[in-house]
Order: sequence, then structure tokens, then C-alpha cells
Amino acid sequence: MNEKAIIVKNLSKTFRVKEKEKGFKGSIKSIFKTKYREIKAVNDLSFDVDKGEILAFIGPNGAGKSTTIKMLTGILFPDQGTVEVMGIDPKKKRKKLAYEIGTVFGQKEQLWTHLTPYDNFKFFGAIYDIDDYTVEKRIKELKDMFELDEFINTPVRNLSLGQRIRCEIVASLIHKPKILFLDEPTIGLDPVVKENIRTLIKRMNKEYHTTVFLTSHDVGDIEKLCKRIIIVNHGQIVLDDSMENLKYHYLNKKIVEAKMKEKVNLNDEDGITILKDKGYNLKIEVDTTKRSVGDAIKLLNPNNIIDINISNIPLEDIISDIYKRDK
Amino acid sequence: MRKYLYIFKSEVMTNMQYIFNLLVGFISYFILIFIFLNLWKYIYSDSNELINGYNMNQMIWYVIITEILWMSLGGRKLCRKICEDVRGGNIAYNINKPYSYIGYILSSHLGSVVVKGSIFTILGMLLGLIFLGKFPHLTLFSIIIVLITSLLATIINTLFVIFIGLFSFIIEDANPFWWLYSKVILVFGTLFPIEYFPGIIKTILSYSPIYAVSYGPAKLFVDFSIPNMVNVIIVQIIYLIIIYVLCLLIYRKGVRKLNVNGG
Repeated sequence: MNEKAIIVKNLSKTFRVKEKEKGFKGSIKSIFKTKYREIKAVNDLSFDVDKGEILAFIGPNGAGKSTTIKMLTGILFPDQGTVEVMGIDPKKKRKKLAYEIGTVFGQKEQLWTHLTPYDNFKFFGAIYDIDDYTVEKRIKELKDMFELDEFINTPVRNLSLGQRIRCEIVASLIHKPKILFLDEPTIGLDPVVKENIRTLIKRMNKEYHTTVFLTSHDVGDIEKLCKRIIIVNHGQIVLDDSMENLKYHYLNKKIVEAKMKEKVNLNDEDGITILKDKGYNLKIEVDTTKRSVGDAIKLLNPNNIIDINISNIPLEDIISDIYKRDK
Repeated sequence: MRKYLYIFKSEVMTNMQYIFNLLVGFISYFILIFIFLNLWKYIYSDSNELINGYNMNQMIWYVIITEILWMSLGGRKLCRKICEDVRGGNIAYNINKPYSYIGYILSSHLGSVVVKGSIFTILGMLLGLIFLGKFPHLTLFSIIIVLITSLLATIINTLFVIFIGLFSFIIEDANPFWWLYSKVILVFGTLFPIEYFPGIIKTILSYSPIYAVSYGPAKLFVDFSIPNMVNVIIVQIIYLIIIYVLCLLIYRKGVRKLNVNGG
């Protein structure tokens, strides 16, 4: 059996949110009597993560992802259930846990913007009680791995977003954490930089065996990095499967896009769904458990086809389908 | 301890990039001192006359020192930052680091106060010398004691601001408390020494934090005496312990009920 980096059992967290009746009257009323509504952000969540694994933990906005991460990192206290991160209970030993984990929140800066990346790394080294010699060695190692040479002495405020995120990740790796929590690390980045960040995360995982707990709305991140995916919605797990399985289940559906010489009149039939029909341009979904792609092409009449493209359903559609199904 | 020194050092490094901004802030300091200089010159018919135990020079030096302490504190900014940290959930990103939030805020804020305080001290002393022509009677020992008590005053004052800011855990916005605090310090601790107030108020002020954060170091600068020094340091240590414990209590209670919503 694989060693576990994270074990979560029956985790729940409820928030109390103030509620006010609408309008002026409601405002007056709320002064004397405050109403609260309970929101179950996380509801009986159980899962575990192997050491060295890269896990995608995804879900629509408000699904409970961030709340879960915050409970795993000791920021929030769970109402119920138990959490063990590297064998430590975050609720009881938050400081001890801090030495074992690194966090990168794509939307929050943890670097000192007026200092250079180098000064920042030295700062984080001191925070994690690492001696100067070891920090220097570590900075050099990470500088090479994340290709920071060009801007390591430029104040962070003058860096591009891509450069800054690279530095954010390096800063969170200074103390050699066993687990890295990445919360939307590629948000706002251009495709080339995204790709670059993904490659670096992969390389880091391979070389240091760092467990990566990733949340992202970017399907590319999930597809390129993760072997396993957990989808949460309404605070509960709706899917916990390997990426391979997830794709396999949906792989029996193919998308056929065709450009026609002449207009064709097609209707939905068993195993074939028309997704788009613009006369000369067609997009259909073929359920290969019921009909073959060949059948679909025959329906279109091969002599009538100018161009054709057959593809799998994009992961993005698979995921949004799962989100919708759970509504 | 090393990590807090590093936080302090990083904040000093950051603030050193904004020396020019600090000089701009000095303009309002200059105006205030100038107004008080003229006011006291008008009140004192003779500069050697004593009012409540202070001659004119001592009075003006008193205001110069208390204003250096107050203006280099930057309390409003700190209070607002803590309120925003607590309300906006930013505090979360400090909680999962291996340091105490109070220690972090205190040491980083001291970093900015030290830079600001050094500039204000140099300029304030120059201003006093230009306007008054001489320092009060000082020795190397008294200068060291004034520096130590000023540092203690700043630490206590910063902890008071942190305490007020952390009230955001309980109420939505703690800034009005800060407003109140700053006005009390301004009237009772900055512009007039404690001796200027009548009977019961004077007694209350002698036991109040104002004695520790403002009056103490300024009094030692204008009129140094060993009994005064012992008094000031004892009061400062007592207040340091009290306010630190209060900060810890409110923080621990607050963090337990912390709600960080959304992203």
C-alpha cells in the first residue's frame, strides 16, 4: 500500500452568514434582530492522497475547494471529521505543519513586492529556520530549476505575472515542503507561460517527489499535470477517479465535425446527436456504444464531405457535464 | 527570534526605498511644530518662566519628541491594514506560516517605524536647534535611556494599535476605535504634558498608557532624573506585558471563529 500524505475523514464545515430582509425596513429590522443562515461549505468529505501524487481537486465556484484547502493547511478549524497531513493534525499543530507544507495562491501575493526575489527567498529561509549556507544552496538549486537567473535581482513589483508566479512557487519550496498546495497557480497567464509553469511543476514533482494538491479552473493544468482527479460540488465529492478512467468513460463519445458540399438534413437519432447544424457545417456527437463513426459518416454521405475532423470530447466539456449533472 | 529580526530587516529594506515619501510627510510635522512654537512663545512672556514646571524651551522640546513618537508610528495605516487583513481574509495567508501573526505584524511594523523615526528624529532635532538654539541638558546616559524608552513606547503603542485592529474579529470595523485612541493620545499625551491637567485627570493619566507611550520618553528628554527613569521603565514593562497578553487573547479567540469565505 502506498504511504499517505493526506488522510481526510468525514470532514465538515458550516459557515454562519448574516441575512438581511430586503429594503430599508429590512435594514432597520436587522439592527434589532440579526438573522443567520447556515451554509454547509464542506459536507462529510473523505479522501486520501498518496505521497508523491499530483492530485487535481476541482469544482465550480463555491463548491468548497478553498475551504477544504484552508482546513488542510490549518487556517480554518473543521466542525467535524479528522484531517491528517503528513501525520499531523492541522488543528492542533499548525506551526509544526507549516514546516511540512508549501502554499501558492495564484490570486494572493506572498512575496514582498518591493524586495528582489533573492531577498525574498532569503526571507523565507529565515522564516523556516534554515541556516544561511543551506538557503544559499537551495536558492541556487531552485534558481536553476525554475530559470530565474535573469530576474533574481529585480524587485518583484517589476516582474511580469509569469515571472512572479515562478518566484512564488520557488518561495514556497525553499523549506523543502513534502506537500505543495497550489490554488489556481496559472490564473491570468498566457498559454506559453502556463505551459512553462506546468513543466516546472512536473519537474519538481519528479525530482523532489513533492506531493502536489492542485486546484484550478484551467483544464489544461489538470490534463497536463494530474493522474487523479477529485471533483467536489456542494461540499461533497461527486467524482474521485483516475484521469485515465475519466477520459475512458467519455471516450466512447466522439465529436465529428464536417464541412459539406451540399446541405444535408439530419435529425437526432439513436446514438447520434446534432450539436450544431449550419447547413454546410455540421457538428455531431456519436455514441460509439450504439453507432459506429463509420455509420455517422455514411449518413453524411462520404462523397458530400469536403473536410472532416473526428475528435474526443474535450476534458473541459466532460467536467462541465459532471458539474451540471450534479445540480 | 532570528525570523522576526529578518522580518524587521526586510521591512527596513522596503522602507528605505521610500525615503522621499517620508520627507514629504515631514512637512506636516514641520507645520505642527511651527504652530506650537509660536503658540508657546505667545503664552510665555519670558522664556525662563515656569508653567507647571516647564520653561518654554522644555515645552517645545516636549512637543517635538512626542510628535516624533506619534508621527513615526503610522498607527492609522497599521490599524487599517489589520482590519482589512481580518475582514478580507488575508490573515489566512499569515496563519499558515511558522511565525506568530502578532510577532510578524509587530516586527514588520517596527521596521517601518525605525526608518521613519530615524529620519524624523534627525530632522526634528535640527528643527528644534534652529528654532530654540540649544538642546535641554543631556548626557550620553540620558540619551541612551531616552532612546530605549522611546523604543519601548513605540512597541507598546504598536501593540495597542494591533489590539484595536484585532477587534475586527468581533465587530465589523475597528477603525472608529482607532480614531478615538488617536484623539485621546493627541490631546492628553502629545500636545501637553500630564502636569498641565487638573487633579483627578492628572492622576488618571499618570497610570494610563499615555504615561508609557508618550509622556515618559519626552519627559526624560526635557527633564531627566533617575527616579523618573525608574518610574517610566517600570510602567512601560507593566503595560508591555498587559497589552501583549490582551493581543494574544483576542487573537486566539478570533482565529478560532475565523470565517474565510470564497476564493
